Amino acid sequence: MTRQGDTGGRGALGAELRSILASNQFGLALLITGLIAVFATVNPGFASPFNLFSLTRVMGIDMVIGFSMMVVLVTGGLNLAVGSIGVAAAMLGGYAMQVQGVPILPAMAIALAFGGFLGWINGQLTVRIGVHSFIVTLATMSIFFGAMIVLTRAEAFNALPREFVDLGRLRYFGFVSGMLPLALLVGIGLWVFFNRTSLGREIVAAGANIRAAELSGIRIARTVVVAHALSGALAALAGLMLAARNGAALPSMAGHIGMGWLLPAFLAPVLGGTLLTGGVISVLGTALGAAMVTIITNGLLQLQVGEFWVQMFLGLVLLAAVLLDRLRGVMAERRRQVR
Amino acid sequence: MTERLRALALADWFGLLLVVLVAGTALAFMQPAFLSTYNIYVLLLSFSLWVLVALAQMVIIAIGQMNLSVGAIGGLVAITFAGTMQVWGLPIPLAIVFGLLLGALCGLFNGVITHVSGISAFIITLATLSIFKGINIGITEAQPFYHIPDAVKAFGAARVGGVPYMLVVPVVAIVGVWLLFNRMVLGRQILAVGANRHAAELSGIRVGRVVVIAHMLSAVLAASAGMLAVARLQLGQPTIGDDWLILSFAAPVIGGAILAGGHVSVIGTCLGVVIVTLINNALVLLGIDPFFVQLLLGALILAAVILNRWRERRREAFA
Repeated sequence: MTRQGDTGGRGALGAELRSILASNQFGLALLITGLIAVFATVNPGFASPFNLFSLTRVMGIDMVIGFSMMVVLVTGGLNLAVGSIGVAAAMLGGYAMQVQGVPILPAMAIALAFGGFLGWINGQLTVRIGVHSFIVTLATMSIFFGAMIVLTRAEAFNALPREFVDLGRLRYFGFVSGMLPLALLVGIGLWVFFNRTSLGREIVAAGANIRAAELSGIRIARTVVVAHALSGALAALAGLMLAARNGAALPSMAGHIGMGWLLPAFLAPVLGGTLLTGGVISVLGTALGAAMVTIITNGLLQLQVGEFWVQMFLGLVLLAAVLLDRLRGVMAERRRQVR
Repeated sequence: MTERLRALALADWFGLLLVVLVAGTALAFMQPAFLSTYNIYVLLLSFSLWVLVALAQMVIIAIGQMNLSVGAIGGLVAITFAGTMQVWGLPIPLAIVFGLLLGALCGLFNGVITHVSGISAFIITLATLSIFKGINIGITEAQPFYHIPDAVKAFGAARVGGVPYMLVVPVVAIVGVWLLFNRMVLGRQILAVGANRHAAELSGIRVGRVVVIAHMLSAVLAASAGMLAVARLQLGQPTIGDDWLILSFAAPVIGGAILAGGHVSVIGTCLGVVIVTLINNALVLLGIDPFFVQLLLGALILAAVILNRWRERRREAFA
């Protein structure tokens, strides 16, 4: 949505239309429509209310996981600890609800704040040590997950309050899980933050060009810390959503040291046109990217391709997406040179 | 003589050696079982496997990139090694060659795509991590290959006193990689590309070739680690390699490698692995919660990064 850097400026309707048609989001929307059509034709079960409900539920969670990575990617950094933070925060929320008897709203607030705090630690470490967030979050993914396992003795909280588990069963129109509207609301909030608030714009500007941003008086360190804290809070939200879906907070729900979330976390923003080098962010693209990943996964499972081949397929999708994106960049560059 | 001593004391790994000696002595006093033949055997077994994993990552750190797929390559080669022997009845030497070739192929794939596309190795190897792991899971359906030849099992368990036979493989690898970086043109070229890609290109180094070779070497090391893991576990477990990521970065970084590339230390990396092995062993011997390993590994990486950064700044200040 916000493509800072490559908007030509000219407001001619034709050019605008062309840029919409050539945009990542439009391509993604087309692909998604095509995929839905194919899956629904090949397998009638795909469009059943039951499947659509579970599809939209996973979709909402994948979107929030994607957002969690997206807000750090825009700074030119990354957050390998999304899975660890998500699980750690959800476990804390589970502990508050189940063991301490905290009502669910404050308990969820505690979990979100804790996720934000862990992200804040990532941001502070990155800024203060002065190394790339890759190595910092690689270390903290291990630390956060290790601490969580030591404290919980690797045991699940599976007697969560009814009201909380019911959130995972919320259903609109008979087939839309409550998780999807929630994720979309979060997306709208993020869009407003990055497009309409000065702090959000500063984060994007700092990601695009650190020196220019610094010269124009933006405090770079602050933008990095805020982005990481936001990423942590979003990861915590995804963790809570997953816990509500499972009906339990499980230490294993993001895989070994949270690595299970890495692929969806990178797939959604990268498919959606958020650049790994920073400075370009697309909230709508990330949402569409997550939707596509969920639909592919669900469709393949429905087609009896075998759950065991899905991971390889998603890896190929990621590879194809980054290569295509690169190819498009190279072609655009060439066209510019020819002119 | 004093010159030489001073040079030794200034080396990256000298401090680490002291840490290892102090920690080893302390452990021996606290827990006499530490020096038992069996415990030394256990230590060397872990060391054998982990040092290959660490070197696999170190080679890529040297060119200023990272390889997230080290574990996935190890796992894929592990199940292929076990599978070709169990299902196809391939003789052991052929299965080993097949495994190494498959590893080299995975590395070729990583290297060529990274270089030709110019996309960061991080995202490429994240994608290939899923592809390799996905093929692994697709083939095995998450079930291990149980029936591997007795000779492989025997090799995995054989030892002379406290020294496991398998130590041969990492020793060859360590010597080879040390020679590569300290005595061979290719090693210098790898470091040159890592330190300053543009300058390397201008001085006539074929950067693409160097990058691809580094990725292939990394993958072959990961492949050897995968096959050793099969011998050690006595079965072709699909989860082999799943937990290598943190370790693969921890050891080189503890050993003083600079993640921006151009500077790695083979001896430092080996000592990094020794430190990780000792910590792991200490937790077991002293009856501490083994879950602490994960936490400590992360803390070690952070501490090492901070220390390396501080050293770098001092070096800059002196220069």
